[in-house]
Amino acid sequence: MIKKIKSVRFVLFVCLLISIIVAATSTYYKVKYWGFSFKPKQSTGVWSIEEHISFMPTGEKIKVSITTPEDSDNFKVLDDSIIATGYVVKTEKNGQKKLILTSNPRNSEQNIYYRVMLFDNEDTKGLTKDIKPQAPKIPQLDERQIAIAKEIIELTKEMEGDLPEKLIHIFNQKPAHPLVSSYLPFKISQEEIAAAIRELLAIEKVSSRVVKGVKLEEGKKSLEADLMVEAYIRNKWRVYNIGTGKRGIPGDFVIFQRGDKGLVDIEGGEDSSIQFSVLKSLSSNFDLASHRARIADQQAYFDSSIFSLPLNEQNIIKWLSVFPLAILIIVIIRNVIGLKTMGTFTPMLIAMSLVQTGFVSGMISFSIILIIGMLLRGLLSKLNLLLVPRISAVVIFVIIIMQAMTIIGQKFSLNIGLSAVFFPIIIMAWIIERASITWEEDGAANATREIVFSLITAVMTYLVVSNEYIRHITYAFGEINYVILFLVMLLGTYTGYRLLELTRFAPLVKG
Amino acid sequence: MFKLLSKIFATPKELHENGVLGMNARNYKFISKCNKRSLYPLVDNKVITKTLAQEHEINTPKLIGIIEYQHEAKNILDIIGDYKEFVIKPAQGSGGRGILVVTEHNKEIFTTASGRKITYNEVYQHISNILSGLYSLGGRYDNVVIEELVHFSSIFNNFSYQGVPDVRIIVYKGFPAMTMMRLATKMSGGRANLHQGAVGVGLDISTGKALNAVLKDKPVTIHPDTNANLMDLAVPLWREHLDIGSKAYDMTGLGYIGADIVLDKDKGPMMLELNARPGLAIQIANGIGLQKVLKNIDKHYPKNLNAKERVDFVLNGGKF
Repeated sequence: MIKKIKSVRFVLFVCLLISIIVAATSTYYKVKYWGFSFKPKQSTGVWSIEEHISFMPTGEKIKVSITTPEDSDNFKVLDDSIIATGYVVKTEKNGQKKLILTSNPRNSEQNIYYRVMLFDNEDTKGLTKDIKPQAPKIPQLDERQIAIAKEIIELTKEMEGDLPEKLIHIFNQKPAHPLVSSYLPFKISQEEIAAAIRELLAIEKVSSRVVKGVKLEEGKKSLEADLMVEAYIRNKWRVYNIGTGKRGIPGDFVIFQRGDKGLVDIEGGEDSSIQFSVLKSLSSNFDLASHRARIADQQAYFDSSIFSLPLNEQNIIKWLSVFPLAILIIVIIRNVIGLKTMGTFTPMLIAMSLVQTGFVSGMISFSIILIIGMLLRGLLSKLNLLLVPRISAVVIFVIIIMQAMTIIGQKFSLNIGLSAVFFPIIIMAWIIERASITWEEDGAANATREIVFSLITAVMTYLVVSNEYIRHITYAFGEINYVILFLVMLLGTYTGYRLLELTRFAPLVKG
Repeated sequence: MFKLLSKIFATPKELHENGVLGMNARNYKFISKCNKRSLYPLVDNKVITKTLAQEHEINTPKLIGIIEYQHEAKNILDIIGDYKEFVIKPAQGSGGRGILVVTEHNKEIFTTASGRKITYNEVYQHISNILSGLYSLGGRYDNVVIEELVHFSSIFNNFSYQGVPDVRIIVYKGFPAMTMMRLATKMSGGRANLHQGAVGVGLDISTGKALNAVLKDKPVTIHPDTNANLMDLAVPLWREHLDIGSKAYDMTGLGYIGADIVLDKDKGPMMLELNARPGLAIQIANGIGLQKVLKNIDKHYPKNLNAKERVDFVLNGGKF
C-alpha cells in the first residue's frame, strides 16, 4: 500500500519536474525572443526614423546606396521600408547592410524615403564582442601640423580621462585654444573636428573611426546625421560624443554606419540633401511579439500560439488561463487548510464574479442577493413545493432581484446595483437553497459558518485572481498551468494533516 | 501568545506520534484503498442494506414499505396501515438528514419524536422532498424508506436528551476497531450527530464501558442536559454489538466502514445503517488516535478469520 503511494507520487513528481522545465524553457523563449515581460501592460518604445533623401539628377544613370542601421546594444530593427518610385531596390550585405537603388536617367527632383522602425533592445545589451582592429596609419601631415599636434597631446597629459575625451575637450574650448586655432585655422564643423581628433589619435597609435547615426528625440527633424568618434581603447570600441567628450553611446543614439563612408552615396545626382525625422510610439509587448518572433525565426511557433488569435479570443483565453490557479487555491483551502465550503467550486465562481464587479460593490450586491433570496426562500418553504419547482422558483427570484438591483442602481446611479448581474444566477440560487436547508436543519450558526467560510475562501481566491500581475503571467506564460495541473494531482496524494485538524485533534494529544 | 497557540494547536509531529488519523490520510489510505466504489450502493441505499442484512441474519428495524415515485406518496396512509409509530427516511440519505420519526398519529395529526405535532400535509411534503432528492447524496432522485420504530432500551434514558442514542463502530477489515456512543443533547436538537452538538462517548472496545467523552470536540464528563456522569455509561450486550459490526464487513465487502447500532429493549442491538465514509470525531471521543489502531490491525491481526472469531479476537484484547 505504502509502496503504491510512493510510486504514484514519484510519477507525478517526475511529471511536475518535466512541466516545470517545459514552462521555464517556454518562458525563457517568450521573454528572450518575443519580448514578453513579467509585468502586465508592458509596452516597448518603437522609434520610427524617416530618412528623406532628395537630389537633382544629372542626367546620368542613378545609383543610390543607403546604409541601414544595424542591431546594436540598444536597439533592434523591427521593420524597414523604402518608398522610391520606379527604382530597382537591391539589398547588399557586404559587411553592413545596404540598400542599392538603381534607375535609368531622370530629370526632375528625386525624393526617396527610407523608414526604419526600431525598438528598445534588452536582449543583447552588453554582449557584443569587439574584434581588435589593425594599427592606424600614421596620418600624412606637414611638420608644422605635427609639431602642433604633439603640443596638443602634451597638453592632454596634465588632464584626466581617456585620450579622446581630453582631445574633444580641448577642441571644444571656447574661446578656441590657440593651438586648436592654429591646427584648424578656419571655421570648424563637426566633421572637421572628428577628422582632427582621429588624426591626433592616430599619432598616438589609437585606432578610431567615425560613427554616424541619429539621436532619437521625439519629433526631431534634422538635416544631418549625428556624428561621434569611436576609439579602440582598453580592448574595446568606445564611443565619444564630439560635442561634449562624453564616453559611451547615449541610450537614444542609433548607429547607422561606422567608418568613413557617407550614409547615402548618390551617383548621377547633385545638390543632395538628407533629412531625418524621428517619431516615437508605444506598442504593447503582445503586439510586438509577432514581429519579434519573426526576427528570431520563430514565426511558426508563434502562429500556433494563442497570441496570434484575434483580440477577442485572446481575452477569453486570458480569462480562462487564471482558472487553474484559482482551482489550486480551492484545493489548498480544502485539503491542506481544511475549510469546509458550500460546494467545491462555488467560492471560486463567486471570486470570479468579484473580479468583474469590483470587490466592495460585488460583496455588497452578493450579500443583498443572498439575504433577500433567503428571506424569499423562507416564505417558499411554507408552501411545501417539490424540489425542482422550488429551486426553479429560487432561480427566478434571483433573476428578479438582479433586475431590480440593476434598475435601482441605474436610477440612483449606484455602481453596486449594476454589479448584481455579474453573479452566476444558478450558482446564487443554489447557494440560497443550500444555506436555507442548512439553516433549517443544522441551525443558523452552522448556516452562517458555512456561508462565512465560503466567503473567506472566495475572498482569498479573489485576492489572487484579481492581481494584474498574476493574471498577466498565467496568460502570457500559459505553460505554468501544466505545473499547476501536476501540483493539484500531487496534492491528491497528500495524506498529511490539514491545518484545522491540528486544532481539532489537539485535545487528543494535550490530555 | 506562543503558549496559547500551543494549547490550541498540536504540531503534526505530536498528532503523528499519537497515531491520529487525518481526513486526507483517511480518504487516501483507507477509504480509497479498502472501499471499492462499486460496493458503495450497498451502504448508501438503505433498502439494499436492509435486504442484505436480513440475508446475513443481522438484526435491523423491519421494513414497512418503500415509496419510489411521487404519485405513490399519497398512498402513505395505506402503507403505514395499522402502525401507530414508524420512521420515514431517505434511502440514500446521509448524516441522519431527512429522518422523520413518528411516535403517534391519527391520520391527520402526527406527533414526532421530539413531541412536535405536524399535519398530514407536512408528512406528505417530507416524503416529496425525499423523493426529489433533497437529502440524498448529490441531490439525485431518491426513494423513501418507512420502517418500524425501534423501542430504545431505557438504560440510556439518563444519558440522552430526547433522541436515539446509538453506538458507532468503526470496522476495519472486519475487526471492530473503535467504538463510541452518540448521545443527543438539547443543542443537537435531539439528534445524535456530533457536529450538531451531540455528546460522543468513547467506549472500551473489549468491554463497552465509557473511556472518555467529548462535546463539540471538547472533553466533557457530565451530560450537559441530564447531568448524568458519562463515565458511568456501559453498553449491555456488547458482544452482540460487535458481532453486527463484524458481520457487516462480510455482508458488504467494504474494508473500512462505520456501523450505527441502536439497542432495542426487546430485540437487542439492531443495525440502523452503515457508512462508507465514517467521520473522525470518534478518535476525540476515545482519546485515542485511529491510525495507530488501524496500523496495529494491519500488522498484527490474523487474516482469514470468520466474523465470530474476529470478535473473539478483539474481545480478548487483540490476542487469541
